[in-house]
Amino acid sequence: MIAAVVFIAVYALVISEKINRAILALLGAGLMILCGVLTQEAAIRGVDFNTIGLLLGMMVIVAITGKSGVFQYVAIWSAKKVNAQPVGVMIMLSLVTAVFSALLDNVTTVLLIVPVTLLITEELKVKPYPYLLAEILCSNIGGTATLIGDPPNIMIGSAVGIPFNDFVIHLTPVVLVILLATVAVFYFVWGKELVTTEEARRRVMSFEAREAIKDWRLLRQSLSVLAAVIAGFVLAHSMHLEPATIAMFGAALLLLLDNYHRPADEQTHNVHNAFSEAEWVTLIFFLGLFILVHGLESAGVIRWMAQQLLSATGGDFAVTAIAILWGSAILSAFIDNIPFVATMIPLIKSMAPTFGGEQALMPLWWALSLGACLGGNGTLIGASANLVVAGISERAGQPIRFLQFLKSSFLLMLMSIAISHVYIYFRYL
Amino acid sequence: MNVSTIMNASPVTISVTETFGNALRLMEERRVHALPVVDAAGVYKGTFDFADIWKTLLPKAALLGMDSLTDLSFVSDAQEILREKLAGAGSRPVSEFLDRRVEPVHPDTPVKEAILLFYRLDEDIPVVERGTNRLAGIVTPWEILNALRD
Amino acid sequence: METHSSQVIFGWSAAALATVIFIAVYALVIAEKLNRAILALLGAGALILCGVLTQEAALRGVDFNTIGLLLGMMLIVNITGRSGVFQYIAIWSAKKVNAQPLGVLIMLSLVTATLSAFLDNVTTVLLIVPVTLLITEELKVEPYPFLISEVLSSNIGGTATLIGDPPNIMIGSAVGIPFNAFVNNLTPVIIVVEFATVLAFALVWKKSLVTTEEARRRVMEFNEAEAIKDHRLLKQSLSVIGVVIVSFILAHSLHLEPATIAMFGAAVLLFLDNYREDADHQTKKVHGAFAEAEWVTLIFFIGLFILVHGLESSGVIRWMAEKLMAATGGDFKITAIAILWSSAILSAFIDNIPFVATMIPMIKSMAPAFGGADALMPLWWALSLGACLGGNGTLIGASANLVVAGIADRAGHPIRFMRYMKSCFLMMIMSIIISHIYLYFRYL
Repeated sequence: MIAAVVFIAVYALVISEKINRAILALLGAGLMILCGVLTQEAAIRGVDFNTIGLLLGMMVIVAITGKSGVFQYVAIWSAKKVNAQPVGVMIMLSLVTAVFSALLDNVTTVLLIVPVTLLITEELKVKPYPYLLAEILCSNIGGTATLIGDPPNIMIGSAVGIPFNDFVIHLTPVVLVILLATVAVFYFVWGKELVTTEEARRRVMSFEAREAIKDWRLLRQSLSVLAAVIAGFVLAHSMHLEPATIAMFGAALLLLLDNYHRPADEQTHNVHNAFSEAEWVTLIFFLGLFILVHGLESAGVIRWMAQQLLSATGGDFAVTAIAILWGSAILSAFIDNIPFVATMIPLIKSMAPTFGGEQALMPLWWALSLGACLGGNGTLIGASANLVVAGISERAGQPIRFLQFLKSSFLLMLMSIAISHVYIYFRYL
Repeated sequence: MNVSTIMNASPVTISVTETFGNALRLMEERRVHALPVVDAAGVYKGTFDFADIWKTLLPKAALLGMDSLTDLSFVSDAQEILREKLAGAGSRPVSEFLDRRVEPVHPDTPVKEAILLFYRLDEDIPVVERGTNRLAGIVTPWEILNALRD
Repeated sequence: METHSSQVIFGWSAAALATVIFIAVYALVIAEKLNRAILALLGAGALILCGVLTQEAALRGVDFNTIGLLLGMMLIVNITGRSGVFQYIAIWSAKKVNAQPLGVLIMLSLVTATLSAFLDNVTTVLLIVPVTLLITEELKVEPYPFLISEVLSSNIGGTATLIGDPPNIMIGSAVGIPFNAFVNNLTPVIIVVEFATVLAFALVWKKSLVTTEEARRRVMEFNEAEAIKDHRLLKQSLSVIGVVIVSFILAHSLHLEPATIAMFGAAVLLFLDNYREDADHQTKKVHGAFAEAEWVTLIFFIGLFILVHGLESSGVIRWMAEKLMAATGGDFKITAIAILWSSAILSAFIDNIPFVATMIPMIKSMAPAFGGADALMPLWWALSLGACLGGNGTLIGASANLVVAGIADRAGHPIRFMRYMKSCFLMMIMSIIISHIYLYFRYL
């Protein structure tokens, strides 16, 4: 009872966005312990440190890699590859964003790509809006493709123990279809409007992509570590390693390579910065949230909710899968998908006996992942990457309005869920 | 010794209703590198200085202060474009450019605090009256050095 | 806890691998060529990659109570520090003694010791040292005795409570010793040690600390009220600190762990400091608060806990404890005194955190030999006194020493290793002799 009240209060306050969500989650988690719902020990057992470690490790690796300038290089290179034709640039930057997002955090990806995009569109004297819109959508779509692309996937993979390769086998195909469909829509809707002058194009063509690389040594080191980490993820299952070990070890290795030749003071400074630049608001929010959900779980609320859901779907597997897909998509368009997924995971897990064991649940996990990740594209507040891009573009004097965004993005989101529906139906149901 | 004993109590100022072009001309004529901007009642609104001019010339993406775009070493140059941008800004009101990179100090602030601000930022320091926020004067490095050298 | 000692990996036993990795990390940390957080993480990763521990077992080895308590207190102190209250206290205390150099030295030392008892030592000296340099420059006296006295006092004061120094946090958390037990058993002897140390300083430096009438007047003109930057924040943060400390005292009867109290206190303070701001500002401030925490230390702790857990689960710790017992002949008194002196001497030269992390499971495993966990309490006090006070022995003995040396160097008053050791090693030995007498008469 107390657990449910605390959880709902935190959830409501997070949705109202008046108070920072990390503070709320910590306060809520503290209340769970102070009210005696959980002991501190039980609370800590509820925290999925595999998720936290994986997120932190990847954040550190990406923050260091970003300093090499490789992402700007790729963005400029891809714009020049299509002769700086505005439509071509839009398609290339969208695809680049999707690929990066599949391997890196979405927010990091847009933080790296959006400033270069603004620079190029200003030179081309074209509206940046369609570019930013396409990048937002593609970052959320690309992130859905892999275990490490988006926090919901990390949480699902870690809690259920789904290896990296399974995500690639089951999600990447449908994500590719959705990505191409989305880019095609952009091509047909915006293709005509984006025109530039010969001279502006020539200016972009004279950009020196190689000048964007700040540090060749760091570039080689960080790309090698990144490649080794991804290879580690692919092989993790057969080596009996967890993703957090691989990510944190990779981060430690990259820190070592980047620092071993420096004096002690500088090392301390660099290491401190590498960790302090991680997104603590997100990580602490996760920490608090895991404790809150664990409180609900140990108070029996989750099991009760699962029973309600099952009785609503009549215990039919196909109906449950489709309900999860659409339900998570619509909800994730309006509320943060992270607390939603954190609540859904134990809920779906507790359905295992009804549907004949854990193995049988796999399609439900794919439905949850597709719904929660792609649903974030529905509105401007649906995912962190959306808000981050809106923030940057507002500071650059190009505000993105909620309704303007909703008009185009909600339909594209529904299209992506329809494609996922067809995919899940034919492949698994 | 505090700021009021050394400040320039009648600095060159510009009205908040003036234009960018006039501000630039005034800076050139009077050989100053910053102009305190005041309203009709003499209340300090901000400072117009070279940084405001550079801001109009740069691509917006470079002004975001983001780690992912720390330099422009890879872009192309075109003098024509920069000329156009400077000319284009001429008629915009100075009120669009008011940044407050230096928080104003008060007449009773210790001179040591003013020296610390110079050391950190190297910007002229506006001095405003407590409560009313009316501009009382400005302190430039020369005011301080002249007071110390007699 | 599962034992892997029979397991063989790449032809090595788990115990051998854990020992080799541990010693390698330890040696590299002592060499100080590479950052210790990187080393601890790499070592912990190597243990998992070699199969000595699974990731799950490694995480079980991490004492999140220690991490949470450290992080929570760091947040609270960083936010409080912005209010300017510590500068206020320093200036106020200097004016209380009419800015007489010797009086200022004594007052600032006592303030440092008191603050260190409740806050992290490094944070305390970071807050006090800049004001000290400001005051000594105005008084035109050598800052050296002031800084040294503050270094010693911060390490001494930190020994007094559960939350004063990382070794105490680790011991308290691992053994489940409540806040009040630290106060009852350590604070009395610490007060004696602190007064003896300050007295020694006063006697040694009395002659050389002189200033002019005019310089004193200038310091007396300092306006400490202007040092308070934010009165609202001041009231909020002092209330939160007050509530947190009261909760530590009541924690045992409320069945609460220190980490819950510290983290909840930090969350409340962040809430009070933020709820009126807009969303963007909040995000920036909350991120800033966490970013300022000492991540190098926290990550080092996490890696270290995993490394020690590797030693523990492969049976190395038990073997070491047996060796130590054999050396002391299983005599409780000799064991306690040996722990006191050897931790003091070792902590003077190497980081006391990995040392204490290794000693904790070792002492724990002695429980059967000495008749249960309760009988071990004097050993924990010996470990705490030795490890915390030992840090005073050399310039590299504790983090606060190095931090002050760093600031002093930047301010143009470098503190040399040998000069420091000449005055401070004896002071450290004196503090351990006092502790020895205290332990002997009270517990042995």
